[in-house]
Amino acid sequence: MAFLNLAFAFLYQLGDAFSFLVLAACGLAVVFGMMGVINLAHGELIMCGAYVTVATTRAGLPLPLGILSGALVAGAVGMLLERLVIRHLYGRPLDTIVATWGISLVATQGTLILLGSSMPGVGTPLGSFAVGSYSYSAYRVVLMLAAILVLVGLYAVFNATRFGTLARATIQVPHMAEALGVDTRAIYALTFGIGAALAGLTGGLYAPTMTIVPTMGTTFIMEAFVTVVVGGADIFLGTAPAALVLGAVRALLTSWQGQLFGQIGLLVTVILVIRVLPSGISGLILRERA
Amino acid sequence: MPTPFQHGSRLAALAGALILASPAARAADPIKLGVLEDQSGDFAVATIGKVHGIQLAADEINAGGGIAGRKLELVIYDTQSDNTRYQEFMRRVLQRDKVNVVFAGFSSASREAYRPIVDQLDGFAFYNNQYEGGVCDGHMVVTGAVPEQQFSTLIPWMMEKFGKKVYTIAADYNFGQISAEWVRNIVKENGGEMVGEEFIPLGVSQFSQTIQNIQKAKPDILMTLLVGTAQASYYEQAAAANLKIPMGSSVNVGQGYEHKRFQPPSLANMYVTTNYIEEVDTPSSKAFLAKWKAKFPNEPYVNQEAENSYHAVYLYKQMVERASGSTKRADLRKVIAAGDVCVDAPEGKVCIDPKSQHASHTIYLAKVDEKHAISFPKTWDDIKPYWLGQAGCDLTKKDPMAQYTPSNPPPKP
Amino acid sequence: MLRILRRLEGPQTIGRGPAFWAAFGLVLAAAAAYPWLVDGYTVGNTAYFFCWVFMALGLCLIWGYGGALSFGQTAFFGLSGYAYGVLTLNVGAAYGFTLVAVALAVALSALMALLLGYFLFFGRIGGVFLGIITLSVTLVMERFMAQTAGPEWRIGAARLNGYNGMSGMPPLTLPWPGGDLVLFPDVALYYALLGLLAVTYLALRILVNARFGNVLVAIRENPERAEMLGYDVRRYQLGAFVIGSALAGLSGTLYTAWGQYITPSSMGLTAAALPVIWVAVGGRGDLTATLVGTLAVLGGFQALTIYGSQYALVVMGLLLVVAVLTAPEGFVVALLRALGRAWPGRRRGAPAP
Repeated sequence: MAFLNLAFAFLYQLGDAFSFLVLAACGLAVVFGMMGVINLAHGELIMCGAYVTVATTRAGLPLPLGILSGALVAGAVGMLLERLVIRHLYGRPLDTIVATWGISLVATQGTLILLGSSMPGVGTPLGSFAVGSYSYSAYRVVLMLAAILVLVGLYAVFNATRFGTLARATIQVPHMAEALGVDTRAIYALTFGIGAALAGLTGGLYAPTMTIVPTMGTTFIMEAFVTVVVGGADIFLGTAPAALVLGAVRALLTSWQGQLFGQIGLLVTVILVIRVLPSGISGLILRERA
Repeated sequence: MPTPFQHGSRLAALAGALILASPAARAADPIKLGVLEDQSGDFAVATIGKVHGIQLAADEINAGGGIAGRKLELVIYDTQSDNTRYQEFMRRVLQRDKVNVVFAGFSSASREAYRPIVDQLDGFAFYNNQYEGGVCDGHMVVTGAVPEQQFSTLIPWMMEKFGKKVYTIAADYNFGQISAEWVRNIVKENGGEMVGEEFIPLGVSQFSQTIQNIQKAKPDILMTLLVGTAQASYYEQAAAANLKIPMGSSVNVGQGYEHKRFQPPSLANMYVTTNYIEEVDTPSSKAFLAKWKAKFPNEPYVNQEAENSYHAVYLYKQMVERASGSTKRADLRKVIAAGDVCVDAPEGKVCIDPKSQHASHTIYLAKVDEKHAISFPKTWDDIKPYWLGQAGCDLTKKDPMAQYTPSNPPPKP
Repeated sequence: MLRILRRLEGPQTIGRGPAFWAAFGLVLAAAAAYPWLVDGYTVGNTAYFFCWVFMALGLCLIWGYGGALSFGQTAFFGLSGYAYGVLTLNVGAAYGFTLVAVALAVALSALMALLLGYFLFFGRIGGVFLGIITLSVTLVMERFMAQTAGPEWRIGAARLNGYNGMSGMPPLTLPWPGGDLVLFPDVALYYALLGLLAVTYLALRILVNARFGNVLVAIRENPERAEMLGYDVRRYQLGAFVIGSALAGLSGTLYTAWGQYITPSSMGLTAAALPVIWVAVGGRGDLTATLVGTLAVLGGFQALTIYGSQYALVVMGLLLVVAVLTAPEGFVVALLRALGRAWPGRRRGAPAP
């Protein structure tokens, strides 16, 4: 029994680290992994989702609908950004760094000016449950399920729908897709919008468990980039295993030596993975397959 | 970058200095007070109120005729929670604006960033913030509370009430590490036992593993010395995991007003020692709060740092007036050395200790309940910042311009 | 000697001919006269801006000329800053040791860049991944240094002192007949940095117009072609990385000596992004553009913070977006191009588009 309790404790921690990495990274995996856009404002899209979720929930909407509206608003903001800024920078990945850094400055400070330095939270729903001598938050199990659902959903959208096929075609050979009559501009905008909506969803999901402040997005951004880079270009083959590996590294190191080692371990893993597998885990899987 | 208004010839500056030096011009001249605080960036939550506190005090003082007949003029810069901005603007207020005194800094890193510049340019700075203690520098006056004031009151009280096993989680930098050291020492002195200690890097926002570690150690008391908005997420996550251990802190509630910002009951059962929060229920506190709300009706919260900044202006006023209007650092330090620079602040009586140039405080024990309402089970009057003086820092004799910690005390003479 | 000097102008740099060098001389003369026109604060503040420019020029070499974006130049900045602190706190400032400390600290950065660069370039890591690894390195260093608050973290007499930062190191000191000359941030430091900056700028111009620079640009334009032509791409990129990182280290020591203070947040995410922004806004493809752009951004952002109150960061962000959208090659390059069009005589100076 004691062993089972311990095993559950480890699985819970692994799942918690895994879901955080997957959710932090999923939007970026679409935007960076697929489109090659380095979006430093990714954290601010997450913040946007969290703010909308908290505001609508406090206004009386049930939390799940609040989270959904957070995702939708972030998605719309994302498409607007794509139209105004990102669209002009395709093929100039390094310039997007500067532009999106600028956007994140505007978003963070603009939120501070408009909405004040912090917002009261909504409280974590669903209470807790106990296994052995430990008690756990039930909501974090919801987060784990959400992470898995997002992965499955992404796979379905990009592999089993007409939009998904067109999107992958557009991103791989844009002029060919265009020649075949695909409205590539709309595809790019929509893909970016999906990435932004996923970021908003993450913000909404984590909003009840965190302090709602303008700078809250920055706590996601490092983990997001790390996961996407370790995963490599293919989001479905890459992101999930990368999050699993990194989640295990972090959970083990954190329970062994504390949070500092968890964080440094994460960064060192990235350096090693890039050195050994320059195109990430998905690159390795594809190479094995080929 | 030369901008049109920056072109003043050195000769003109020299002539200006000569004019300023004549006594007649000086009396009419305003006293300039530089304010460097973070009005944007990570720390803005806790520090915008500090600027307002200084503005409120300055308005009151100017309405009452100023300091020794001279108006008080504020020179305010936003340091953006960025250490390099502190370095740039500390130079600016001292060299360009030629302020008489500077009120500056929230994070300890920002204070350490500007302190060499204050020392080098022979300025005079007030640090109006609660911190890890130990700055022994004749160019600095510290009006915030320090660990010995907050922990020597809080920990014995909590250990008596809840038990002797203590677990600390602390931000992994100077403030957290030194505060944790204080907790360790005071727990030991009082016959308690440390059952765990964990340090959290700044910016970490996910705490599942930490919560589990705490449950494993089964402490009677949990000291939470977490800093910054990301780490504040701990409380929500611990409450969601049904962790119900009584918590003690020196930094929450009094600084970041987490009990207002989070949904109850995440901070229930939290005990904090602070020298002021807006719930303090004394006539002087109520009068202070009423004045504040009249001037800044949208202020989210008046925290201890805001009150420190407010009464610090009055401490400075008293020093200047007792030095017959002189703003020279040497003259003001002579006044401090007399040992009785005291003001009746909203919290109660506040005095400057001449050995360390830190302030004594009234310490309130604030308890947060299930609905996040505050009650005050206990108040200690006139708690002195005793440690630096006992450890061997005596600014009336020697000015080492250094920061010490319990494990790195001043060298013995 | 004359052959080397002829490399001062060439295909890789904007500006040639008597008109350009006359303008250069004029600017240098104005900069030399500057301390006599403004107050002590402005001189010290300008010297402070100069401290950062070396890092920007180094990144310009690595990214603009070499085509490899390093997002972690602050790692070298911090390493050298801490090294300067450790060395001078242990040895002191007598007999001009601070200058030796600067040299040693910069050499340390170059050594670390050699090791890291070997790992990167000989591992054939490029593009965005290079940026992510270098960023990871600087973040690891930041996180590590941030937790060294305890008294056990010391090197000799120097406490690392965690997130609060290391302080108390002496400013730069020149040995001088009749007593050492302490370079507090004032006229003396200003002239020292101005001289150093002018020499660095000219030396880099020679470097990029020499064979090394031409090969580097060829690699940036098409690595495969350069390789086919028989150049060892890895060596050239490594060389640029080491030189650029040594310059970042130089910035670190100068900044540390300027403020007598160095902190882990100098290696953090925000700090790491700043050099990239300076170089991108000015124009990464040219040394002069980087130099002018960096000074303009530093001064402009500081002025915004002073006069723009809480809107400063919003305006800064918008400016960056507008800059990238309207002047893809950088503001300064765009401005020089416009000047070149207005005044055809200068046009030859601009590199072929």
